Amino acid sequence: MKRISVFLLCIVTVIGLLAAGCGSADNKPAQSAQADTAADIKAIKDRGVLKVGVKVDVPKFGFKDPQTNKIDGLEIDIARAVAKKILGDPTKIDVQGVTAKTRGPLLDNGEVDLVIATFTITEERKQSYNFSDPYFKDGVAMMVKKSSGIEAVKDMNGKKIGVAQSATSRKALQEEADKAGVKVQFLEFGTYPEIKTALDSGRIDVFSVDGSILAGYLDDSTTILKDRFAPQEYGVASKKSNAALAKAVNEVIADMKKNGELDKLVQKWGIK
Amino acid sequence: MNGPFADYKWAALAHDWAVFGEGFANTVMVSCLALALALALGVLFGVLGSSNWKVFKGITRVYVEAIQNTPLVIQVFFLYHGLPHLGIMLPVFAVGVLGVGMYHGAYISEVVRAGIQAVPRGQLEAAYSQGFSFWGAMRYIILPQAKRMAFPPLTNQAVSLIKNTSVLAMVAGGELMYQADSWSSTNLYYGPAYIATGVLYLMLCLPLATYARKLERKAAVNV
Repeated sequence: MKRISVFLLCIVTVIGLLAAGCGSADNKPAQSAQADTAADIKAIKDRGVLKVGVKVDVPKFGFKDPQTNKIDGLEIDIARAVAKKILGDPTKIDVQGVTAKTRGPLLDNGEVDLVIATFTITEERKQSYNFSDPYFKDGVAMMVKKSSGIEAVKDMNGKKIGVAQSATSRKALQEEADKAGVKVQFLEFGTYPEIKTALDSGRIDVFSVDGSILAGYLDDSTTILKDRFAPQEYGVASKKSNAALAKAVNEVIADMKKNGELDKLVQKWGIK
Repeated sequence: MNGPFADYKWAALAHDWAVFGEGFANTVMVSCLALALALALGVLFGVLGSSNWKVFKGITRVYVEAIQNTPLVIQVFFLYHGLPHLGIMLPVFAVGVLGVGMYHGAYISEVVRAGIQAVPRGQLEAAYSQGFSFWGAMRYIILPQAKRMAFPPLTNQAVSLIKNTSVLAMVAGGELMYQADSWSSTNLYYGPAYIATGVLYLMLCLPLATYARKLERKAAVNV
């Protein structure tokens, strides 16, 4: 009996400590937001550099070239445009690689100011972060082995579909499968190369992520199906309390759309 | 109020508790079966490793060194992604039981070997003189004495084993860590997700660890 109560006490203590931690985490942004509405912009100016989280494994969007060790892509160019607007110098950016799992926490703890990392805008996510207007729209696509004979969703009854954690493709594809009346099973992986490995080893039959990302993984034995579903809109994300920063980013995106710069960048990177 | 631990995120967690329940059940199942496998392998190789048969000692050494000196992640990756290329497609549940079971089997065999070697050599000789075979002596004379020495570290192995099932999250294993990753990466409510997951692992491991400490105290008094 005594032992059980000690155990329960431990659990209660841990939860109590965590709750205390949460409380302080909640209070901070409120105070800073009230003190000065543009505090977020000022902090970036004082620092003299814009910290941006980008993908390093998505060719043409955010990709670290193994030869030069430099990260470059459409999303890095967008980061430069934002730096130019806020700091007056497009080179004043500090990019770091993020994954689906790290981009939320990095925003929350202020490690990065912005996340520009093929981040799909959803209503649910908008509750937690500010999203800019979309700068790119892409549909969910599917890659299969040529030998599988799969040509469309209707051929996928009983098949396993590999998707990326955090990707919205799962929901989109489930709806398509329901429409076609087929039963599919989803397996989630942390990174894109892992999904490709699973496709190669036959663990999954279909590799499904956003079309532009998928193109980077095409090889001789695989093919990408023509169908595209559920347009995914990518937005620039910032911490919920950094409202002034979000506004500035939105202005940059709007300007780039208006003067055709965004289209030029899309063309520059050869994204269809 | 917003932040990683905002109220509505906890509410979402409470609403989707079944996702975590399913993961928890899978973790418990994989852990139990993997522990059974690890104990079987551990006792077998522990006994062989402390025997005088050169060949079996050699096999035990190769098994223990190969497993202890490579990361569990690599072993699980091999079982999951590598074996299918050789025509063996194990379901992910079996990958978990086999991968984690073999990994801890190697550690447990060392625990068992140490326990056996702690039993005075005269015990085995006395058993032989009474007409016991090697396996008979092990079964009735040596292992019951070794058990007392080996039990506390064995319980710690069980705790490690439960925690190590979390590597299955990397191969879509469907256990607790995978469900937490899956749930929290879609809606980005990672705060409540990982706290709840941590508490669930704590609930599994803490009683075992407490039990191990109790056994250790008991062993200390007996010596």
